[in-house]
Amino acid sequence: MSNQKKFIVSHAPFWHDGSSITERSYNTMIAALPAVLFGIFQYGLPAVAVVSFSVSCAIFWELAMNFVTKRSLTIGDGNAALIGLLFAMLVPATLPWWAVLTGTFVAVIIGKQIFGGIGSNAFNPVVLAIAILMVSWKDLFDFDEALLNYDLEFTMLYPIAALKHFGTASIESFTAGDLLLGKQTGGIGATFGLGLIIGGIYLIIRGFIRWEICLTFLFAVFATALVFNLYDNVRFAGPVFHILTGYTLIGAFFLATEDSSSPVNFIPMLIFGVGAGVLTVLIRNIGAHVDGVIYAILVMNLLNPVLDKIRPKAIGKVG
Amino acid sequence: MTSKKELQIAYSLAIILFIVGVLSYAFAAFSAKAPELPIRLMFKGVAGKVLFDHKIHTEDAGYAISCGECHHHPGEDEAAIRACGDCHNFLEKTEALPPACAECHEVDEIEDSEVIKRVDAFHSQCIGCHKENEAGPEKCSSCHVM
Repeated sequence: MSNQKKFIVSHAPFWHDGSSITERSYNTMIAALPAVLFGIFQYGLPAVAVVSFSVSCAIFWELAMNFVTKRSLTIGDGNAALIGLLFAMLVPATLPWWAVLTGTFVAVIIGKQIFGGIGSNAFNPVVLAIAILMVSWKDLFDFDEALLNYDLEFTMLYPIAALKHFGTASIESFTAGDLLLGKQTGGIGATFGLGLIIGGIYLIIRGFIRWEICLTFLFAVFATALVFNLYDNVRFAGPVFHILTGYTLIGAFFLATEDSSSPVNFIPMLIFGVGAGVLTVLIRNIGAHVDGVIYAILVMNLLNPVLDKIRPKAIGKVG
Repeated sequence: MTSKKELQIAYSLAIILFIVGVLSYAFAAFSAKAPELPIRLMFKGVAGKVLFDHKIHTEDAGYAISCGECHHHPGEDEAAIRACGDCHNFLEKTEALPPACAECHEVDEIEDSEVIKRVDAFHSQCIGCHKENEAGPEKCSSCHVM
């Protein structure tokens, strides 16, 4: 007993350390900016349209819900704006306005507000919205079709779709360096690997996201992809390819780490990250969908309450 | 609870980005025009989509295939070239001869059966050329997304 750490708790009033949801939301948006700006640079005005409209619609939906439910205004915490930005990062630059309007409605209203607002949502609102849109309008997320009229000095194929449909021979032209520098098609803010990694590191250092989730997620994607690749390197791509394509990096740093839908304890966070990573590669390699990140995170969101039952042993005893 | 200042930032963000978003959508729609020559084309059919890279087939740095090798009408006049579907898809929709045919032919000059379906035209064109040149995919799953 004498070696145990003692927790000393003083009585109120307590001093607030100044951190807030607002600070967290806007810092996450700042962390996402390199990837978003890169997407705007690549795709031009249509990307500006999607990003701007998405952020504003998400704020308006939250405001509308605040009025309908007669609750205090919550748009000031920046979470709705963040949802709008993350949604825009995952979609093609040519997404029509009505899909942005619908997607942000699903994210803010169905994904967050009907659960009771921030902190109560069972699923990541953005991931839920993308999943519903993918199921409802599959062609909108066919990046090859959406970006037909773009000619950007690199292989204009959505890498993981090419891998899925035509095997590893079709992705030989993609090098790890090119993928890291965003020389690939995809979502507006999901292709610039280096920008996403820098943003992710910033968020980890500032303590806005948990390294346990993102690093175990990336590790699990790498390890699972490596096992598949060692088993059959003609059918299955290598681990680096899986890390740098699709929604892997944005999923690791910006989606899987969402507070309300991810665990808070150490062991559950590791299980959550590993589970999402393994599922991502399983869906990609042997599942029906091109990318697995969205559905993998949704499944792990579903398991989140069960995972958080694994708790540290309580200090002290009753009676 | 959010402070007044935070609310003002959110309102400003929403209004400014809404205006920028609507104007960008409107301007992009207004100024959007298909490239003079197609870059890539997505053909859709029951057997799955096919992404056709038009640019790499036509460019000198690519396969340098001249227009007339695929677009068989009208002669050497590249400016008057029509999209494949103008003729080859028309019969499936209307069961009448496509107006494009009448630009060069008399109506009674053409039998319905001469205008083959677009899917047959593509299959014969693509696979034929790939076989002839021993280059490019020939299997279904190498082009179709299945």
